[in-house]
Amino acid sequence: MNGEDLLKNEKLEKVLSPHPLSFMNYQSLCIFLIVWGVLIGWLINFSEWRSFFESEWIVFMVWAIVLLLVGIFASLVTIRWRIFFLYLGVIVSGIGLVLWLGLQKDVGIFIPAYTVLISILGFLIVELYRRSHKYIISNQRLVFKGGIITKQERTLRYDKISDISAKQGVLGQIFGFGTIIPISQSGFGLGADKSFAAGGVQVGEKKAKLMGIFGGGKEVQTPMSRSYFELHGVHPYKEVKKLVEELVQSNVITPYQQEQVSFQKQQVDLQKEMRDLLKTQSQINEEEPAKDSDSPQATKKTEEEQIFGPEQANIQREMKDLLKMRDGSNNNDDFQDEGDS
Amino acid sequence: MEGSPIDIVVFAPLAPLLGVLLFWFIQLLFIESQKYFLNKISHKHPAFCRFTNFLGILFQTICHALGYTVTKSGISEFYISVNYGRVAPKKEKKGIFEWVSNAFLFVGPFFIPAFLTVVILYFFIPDGFSIVTPDQLINLKYTFGGQLTIFGISLFNFANSFFYFLTNLDLLHPAQLGFLFLLIFLGLGIRPSHIGEEKPHKVDMIYELRNIWNLISHKPLYLIILGALVYLIFYISLYLNTSIYVAIFVILGWVSIISIISLFVSHLIIFFIRIVDEIPRFWKYVPIIVLLSSYIIARALFFYFSMHDYVYSTSLFIMLFSTFIVTFLLYRTKSDKFKTIREMKLLKKKTQGDADER
Repeated sequence: MNGEDLLKNEKLEKVLSPHPLSFMNYQSLCIFLIVWGVLIGWLINFSEWRSFFESEWIVFMVWAIVLLLVGIFASLVTIRWRIFFLYLGVIVSGIGLVLWLGLQKDVGIFIPAYTVLISILGFLIVELYRRSHKYIISNQRLVFKGGIITKQERTLRYDKISDISAKQGVLGQIFGFGTIIPISQSGFGLGADKSFAAGGVQVGEKKAKLMGIFGGGKEVQTPMSRSYFELHGVHPYKEVKKLVEELVQSNVITPYQQEQVSFQKQQVDLQKEMRDLLKTQSQINEEEPAKDSDSPQATKKTEEEQIFGPEQANIQREMKDLLKMRDGSNNNDDFQDEGDS
Repeated sequence: MEGSPIDIVVFAPLAPLLGVLLFWFIQLLFIESQKYFLNKISHKHPAFCRFTNFLGILFQTICHALGYTVTKSGISEFYISVNYGRVAPKKEKKGIFEWVSNAFLFVGPFFIPAFLTVVILYFFIPDGFSIVTPDQLINLKYTFGGQLTIFGISLFNFANSFFYFLTNLDLLHPAQLGFLFLLIFLGLGIRPSHIGEEKPHKVDMIYELRNIWNLISHKPLYLIILGALVYLIFYISLYLNTSIYVAIFVILGWVSIISIISLFVSHLIIFFIRIVDEIPRFWKYVPIIVLLSSYIIARALFFYFSMHDYVYSTSLFIMLFSTFIVTFLLYRTKSDKFKTIREMKLLKKKTQGDADER
């Protein structure tokens, strides 16, 4: 964040980026591609089963089936079908390239090399994506930035944070990074895990069939956000978490503080009222000083009562007495202090 | 039957037991030494130490959970983190069940992960898992010496095959490379204690032995029953003229050998990390690059110049030797280590001479 981007009285506390291993869910897809590329290369060229892979179509089949199976499994586990389609894309483009370039005879070298190259490319994209993230922690707000092509940004004031969710996986515990999700009062930062189960039943045989389908779904609210809307994989996790919690704490008004504020507001209003009353009184005194020669108190009272009404006049008098008393006691205190010193 | 009756009845069953205890003691010493060296590098490599802690806690909690499963106590809570692991039973069982589950907790981490490695190793060296039968011994089959000989020969067969496998490890073979990683992870995680920033209490060899002693002394009756069972198995195998009794201890011996070798390999890694740390700047990466590249170059060379049966062992030797030489040279030239007093005096004289001339 440049100095220009800072608000008035804003001070930078920390500028963070995600830890290199914090996108392991994406990186693991690439790691699998590398492992599978090396393994299929070994199987085709060096293993004792290499005679099995003499036909290029068998190579394609084995390579593609394993990739698809892993893609389906990973998609089901993470509930993200994009993994499956990603692997499908790798398979289609791989086979397409072989057929287009006429490399059917060299699939034993091309397919492993292509798989490894794709995974390296994947690593580079993940790294680029990681580097696009920037989290700025200032004394007034949290700023999240991210995105390779489309730049996403979120600004969150501490007083708008209602809840903080934090998580640290095994890798995070080992390398000291973790994810902190600030949930705003509007519910930003909350997602839903959906699960659905369905079953069918068939009653009757041959001619008469009665079919029924039943199902049920469950949705669980859980802290969840895009990596550019949360403090994703920040290091050092404990330190950052403490800092954010402290900043939120210092910016959020507690019920006791709220009570104090309303009390102070009342005090200010009262003092304003008093000031106005005193001003009005002094104006009256200045305008008609001669009138109070016979019985000044009585005349004054009547005038005050005429202007402000009897109740207000009483309050004013009481306040004056109180002020006098307070001034008197303050003076006594001062004298006492001086005497003590 | 050869041998004195007292020897056969009383002392012979103790032979393989003592053999296993000896191996286990060596294992404990290795663990203690590993903890010492890990502590030395913990400030520079906290992540590495946390990883080893995690492995240790993982093994320990799995063993504890296994203990509760075996005793049918059930598991109500299973929690693992880098610093802490917790397993709680569904039903709190007392007596022998509690004793067995505690035995799994205290002794399990030393044996169970290594046992799983032994099972995997069977697929690589099936010939190494042979146990000498009493018939193969000419005489003194069921004496102390005879039992110890059977135990020793069985272990020798295994150790021989295992070392041959290790020295001929093909690091470009996915399964063999995977086994090497497994062996390293076993060595790093076999200690059931914590290395790192927070030390709630001193956890060392004495602490572990004290735990085991408490387990034994808390219920001495169970130990007596266990001892009686051991003797009973020996008498049965004596009656049937089989090697069942020794076989049980030989399996424990295999497990101990695997553990000791894995600890040795992990020691080498820790030493390597420690020495590389002493080498300044980018030079510290050179030994790692040499380690990886030398093996690949050697294998590529032997692909064209066949060495027949020595391809794997020679490649491994080239890798280790070249890494050792490069590390030693860098350690000597780029760090202050190995600078002898004489050399330092000469340097001091030279610098003083230069100053006087000026």
